[in-house]
Amino acid sequence: MYLTDEEKSMLNGDHGEIKQRCMQFLVDYGEVAGAEHLIDLDGNVDLHPPYGNWLGDYDVSYEEVVELAEIGEKFKVPTFANKAVNPGMIVDGWEKIDLEPFTNPEFRMKQEEMMKPYMKMGMVPILSCNYYLVSSYTPTVGQHCAWVESSAIPWGNAVLGARTNFDGCFQTAYLGKVPAYDMHLDENRKATVLVEYMDELKTDMDYDLFGWAVGEMVGLEVPALIGVGKPTTSQLVKMNTSLNTGGQVRMYHVPGLTPEAPTLEAAFSGNYQRKIQLGRDDLRKIYDKMNYASNDQVDFVYLGCPHYNIEEILKVARLVDGKKLKATMWITTNPSSYKVAKDMGLIEIIEKAGGNVLSGTCPGILGKLPPSTVMATDAAKQNYYINGIYQDLHVWYGTTEDCVESAIKGVWQGEWK
Amino acid sequence: MGKIILHGRKVVGGCVEGEALVTTETISGWGGIDPKEGTIIDLRHELAGEKFAGKVLVYQGAKGSSGWSGQFHEARLNNVAPLAMVFNETTTKIALGAVVTRVPAVTDLDQDPTKVIATGDWVKVDGDNGIVEVTKK
Repeated sequence: MYLTDEEKSMLNGDHGEIKQRCMQFLVDYGEVAGAEHLIDLDGNVDLHPPYGNWLGDYDVSYEEVVELAEIGEKFKVPTFANKAVNPGMIVDGWEKIDLEPFTNPEFRMKQEEMMKPYMKMGMVPILSCNYYLVSSYTPTVGQHCAWVESSAIPWGNAVLGARTNFDGCFQTAYLGKVPAYDMHLDENRKATVLVEYMDELKTDMDYDLFGWAVGEMVGLEVPALIGVGKPTTSQLVKMNTSLNTGGQVRMYHVPGLTPEAPTLEAAFSGNYQRKIQLGRDDLRKIYDKMNYASNDQVDFVYLGCPHYNIEEILKVARLVDGKKLKATMWITTNPSSYKVAKDMGLIEIIEKAGGNVLSGTCPGILGKLPPSTVMATDAAKQNYYINGIYQDLHVWYGTTEDCVESAIKGVWQGEWK
Repeated sequence: MGKIILHGRKVVGGCVEGEALVTTETISGWGGIDPKEGTIIDLRHELAGEKFAGKVLVYQGAKGSSGWSGQFHEARLNNVAPLAMVFNETTTKIALGAVVTRVPAVTDLDQDPTKVIATGDWVKVDGDNGIVEVTKK
């Protein structure tokens, strides 16, 4: 891989041992990825704080970050925090639940302390998987970024037209560089497969299932999607998330909607290879796969993967207003939307019904839940990870309304509509 | 039974041999494997419950969460990483996973390894030269 003189001197250790390790990581990773050189980022970075157990021997320890922050080192580009991991962190709403160690005040203080050096270096504590909806600072078309949240990658590439692989981390934020391969290069961003939806995508769940079905079918191809109507922001978030959970779609086009596809021809630019047609039956198959519970006695309902936006919180608050829930219900969101929901009185309505709104985390990240045996969720992504992480938990999947209904009744009555 | 030789590209160097564990599916790291046991925990995977620790893992590629590399690195720390990796699709997750897992790895082979190799076959992976040598069981 070609390196500039400055990059070579970093690799030689002329800029200190930490920068040397970060550069060594970029070189080793770039070689494996088949990159010919590095790119200087001009967009932004998303990373999981407080960092650890991510890149093995290349990791920069918390103590080292403290040291860097103290001598005034800063991240090279605007850097935003995804959810805290290893351990997870409940930012708001934790006082209302009992879930050790996350609700232990001492443990929490330590977690807040861990964030400080990163913030001192410039990390903005959005603490969410959908930071791209609330950070108030997003990249523009063509800017090179290093993002890490899997559900956000297609959003960055397709919806915003920015350029990112999955490499948002301390190293890429600190050096402001990434290997130049895959999504950073024009030729890999063109559509190769046309995906036509033959029926009408109506509900949020339809978009969730459609994204999953496409993800399963196209592998690493870049699809151009037609027949997808005019998705709301919530629906688009769901579709992006499933595209990269059911499969590994990191880029797609919707002619007339996404910036690199003013037309179908522009999306393909001569790279058309094949066409796939999908209909409601294909969505049904995924729906059935998601529903692997046999017991209908729901005791835990989880909503908010990716983190609910304010419209989604409002929707649930209206559904539970004045009701009493039989099952435990969690809604997860980002700290920014939590505050808005609180100001609107939505948190109070949900809590009065017996539900909890938590910010900054999710069951998958926490790896721990209130005692429960049968869960209901409206997110294909969470459903998928739950099946691996909580093997004993049985999961129902359906619309938000079906899930809320099951929280009220304590019984699953959702069905394919 | 003769040997089948596949030629590909080096991802990580080193030379090892062992028994193959094969899937035509992609594998999710986070939520898909248990890095303490070295097993596939995705209940809907064709390898659900199978142990990849000490095996030559032959698979399509990586999918799902970007936590992939962290999970496989943890498996390495727990001494339950695969012995080697042979796969079809190079993506960021695989690239990061390979550099932190540090086991011999080969990709871009002249035949699809997930079709040529079957679980239980004896496989020699020569990462440096990008060669995979298969002895059918």
